[in-house]
Amino acid sequence: MNQFKVPVDLLMSNMAQGVRKARTRARKASEVLLDTLETALSQTPYEVVYQEDRVKLKHYMARKPSGYKTPLLVVYALINRETMLDLQPGRSVVERFLDEGIDLYMIDWGYPKRKDRFQGFDDHINGYMNNVVDFIREKHKVDKINLMGICMGGSFSVMYSALYPEKIKNLVTTVTPTNFNTDKGLLHIWMKSVDVDAVVDTYGNLSGDIMNLGFLLLNPARLMIDKYVGFAEHMDNKNFVENFIRMEKWIFDSPDLPGEVFREFIKECYQQNKLIQSRLEVGGKRVDLKKITMPVINFYGKFDHLVPPEACDQLTRHVGSRDTEDVCLNTGHIGIYVSSKCQDAFAPKIATWLKERDGGPATGDTQAKSGRKSAGPKFKKAKKSLAAAAPSDMEPNRRNRAV
Amino acid sequence: MEGKINDPFGIESLMMTWTASMNDAMEVMSKTWSAFPGTAGDGGNDAGESGPMEAMAAAFKNWQTIASAMTTPESMASFIKGTETLPEICAHFAQAVMDSLSELQQKMGKSAASFGESVDSYKFKHMDESGFHIWTDIYKKEFQKFFQIPQLGLTREYQERINAMADKFNLFQADHAEFLRLLSLPFQQAAAMMQKDIADMAEKGELPEDSQVYYQMWIKMLEGHFMTLFQTPEYVQTLAKTLGALSEFSRAKNAVLEDMLQGFPVAKESEMDELARDLYELKKRVTKLERENRELKSLVSADQGCC
Repeated sequence: MNQFKVPVDLLMSNMAQGVRKARTRARKASEVLLDTLETALSQTPYEVVYQEDRVKLKHYMARKPSGYKTPLLVVYALINRETMLDLQPGRSVVERFLDEGIDLYMIDWGYPKRKDRFQGFDDHINGYMNNVVDFIREKHKVDKINLMGICMGGSFSVMYSALYPEKIKNLVTTVTPTNFNTDKGLLHIWMKSVDVDAVVDTYGNLSGDIMNLGFLLLNPARLMIDKYVGFAEHMDNKNFVENFIRMEKWIFDSPDLPGEVFREFIKECYQQNKLIQSRLEVGGKRVDLKKITMPVINFYGKFDHLVPPEACDQLTRHVGSRDTEDVCLNTGHIGIYVSSKCQDAFAPKIATWLKERDGGPATGDTQAKSGRKSAGPKFKKAKKSLAAAAPSDMEPNRRNRAV
Repeated sequence: MEGKINDPFGIESLMMTWTASMNDAMEVMSKTWSAFPGTAGDGGNDAGESGPMEAMAAAFKNWQTIASAMTTPESMASFIKGTETLPEICAHFAQAVMDSLSELQQKMGKSAASFGESVDSYKFKHMDESGFHIWTDIYKKEFQKFFQIPQLGLTREYQERINAMADKFNLFQADHAEFLRLLSLPFQQAAAMMQKDIADMAEKGELPEDSQVYYQMWIKMLEGHFMTLFQTPEYVQTLAKTLGALSEFSRAKNAVLEDMLQGFPVAKESEMDELARDLYELKKRVTKLERENRELKSLVSADQGCC
């Protein structure tokens, strides 16, 4: 029998030291946890300028005169809340946009109730979104506004831009699934087998808690174990605890998803992949991606486990616009918005991109030509500034077919 | 037979005693009810129609007749014959249960024998799910039919819904247990891999001294096993099946709850859903009409401007 050389004495001594450290940490942690913690989300001032049912439109207070002719509307997903873009002062995409002088609006989808179970794509896109866009257009006396979509909100924004190209000047999509025919993400694998009719017919809306459980199950080792082990190891650090609790608050603040939207998203998109093929119909109108003739910039995360690059990087090939750009960031689904490194690069990149296209002509075709002519040198400039901000975090993968 | 009758604790003696006492009680009750005014005995019902008192007295009289008939040797023999078949039914039922349990035990024994076999890294070849499948099969073959027996009488629909709920609950439990078993596999495999790796490292004298290293090794293995499991068709099928079973159980449970709610002055969920749908469709119509109205107004004002 082999005699293993197990350094039992060293292991025991390390364990004893570990126990001592843990006791000290626990004592300090109790002081931290019993102290006043600053964990509030969404602290940047805003006013609600429009409301329809549960849906609100937030307008953020400008910090300096807007240097943009066109306001920006941000459309978040119906899953989780838009507060993620404004987690805390100093770590906020909203703040970054305001600092850049962007006139910023954001849709707060609210908390759908059981009565909202019958609301589908049509109600959200041709209804709420269109009303909000019209409201902003009217308020600013402009024909077109800039539109930025996040995740499922990005899919909505793509649908909207294809249905109402005359109202959108520039389209920004971030971690937006448009191609669902991939097996790189677990959601894409799982959703193909789910009997969504049974779920929706039984429950009406999809419960936020069930959705969260599903997201936790995407990586239980990290999200249900390692994350809390990490918390236990740093719970004597007030700053860490505050940030951790903010994220917990955001992650588990999940509104229910209206049943019909869930049904349509799973059946039409995940199971039949209609969006990228321009076969999707919303409110009886076909979502033809070729009608997206405005400039498009498409961000996605290289390590995104929810919406993998393969789900995002086909959009620019299918739209009708000639001024398109793909930007792949070295991060995951949420990292784009919350990691300090990405924030340094992400929001300024959007601001620069929008600025370059802010005064362009109104019509789609002319705009495309204009973008084609000017995109080269302007992009070089943008790339330079990005490289200075975060050289390793951003991989511009520009696809400008006109060049 | 004679011997059995003489046996004070035999089924026949007990039956005779019980029917005789019931007979006496019914006679007393029948006489008592007949004494009430309004029964046929006193001719109180002018219209010649049978009132409730009369009906009750008649019912007691009928029972007395039936009970007397039951005490005859022929009836008693028939009853005894019936009771003799009861143990036979029970024996059949017990035999089916025992056979099923025996089959289950054999499969579980086989499953248990495969524990401790060598663990292939990040492979899920040996997902021994026969235990759960066999239980589901047995349930579907042997037990489910009891919940599907057609019910009779006034409350048949309610009872059927209760049975359906119990049936769907059992099916969900089976799928849920299988799902949980799948989720436990990465833990088992990561633990086995850890033991193997630690043994290898110990043999080479390369055991880390920091416990954090062990934790990091374990969590990485666990993550790897989960990622592999989650992409297997078995997991995807089980997940879909469990969600489907949960939906069916929830629907069956809601149907029973709605039956129960009928007795209370509150709206049922299905009624609220119908109301919500009406409201939803009404709002859509109003929005459409408003839009059309706006467009018409703008057309009219454009026309007026032209003229």
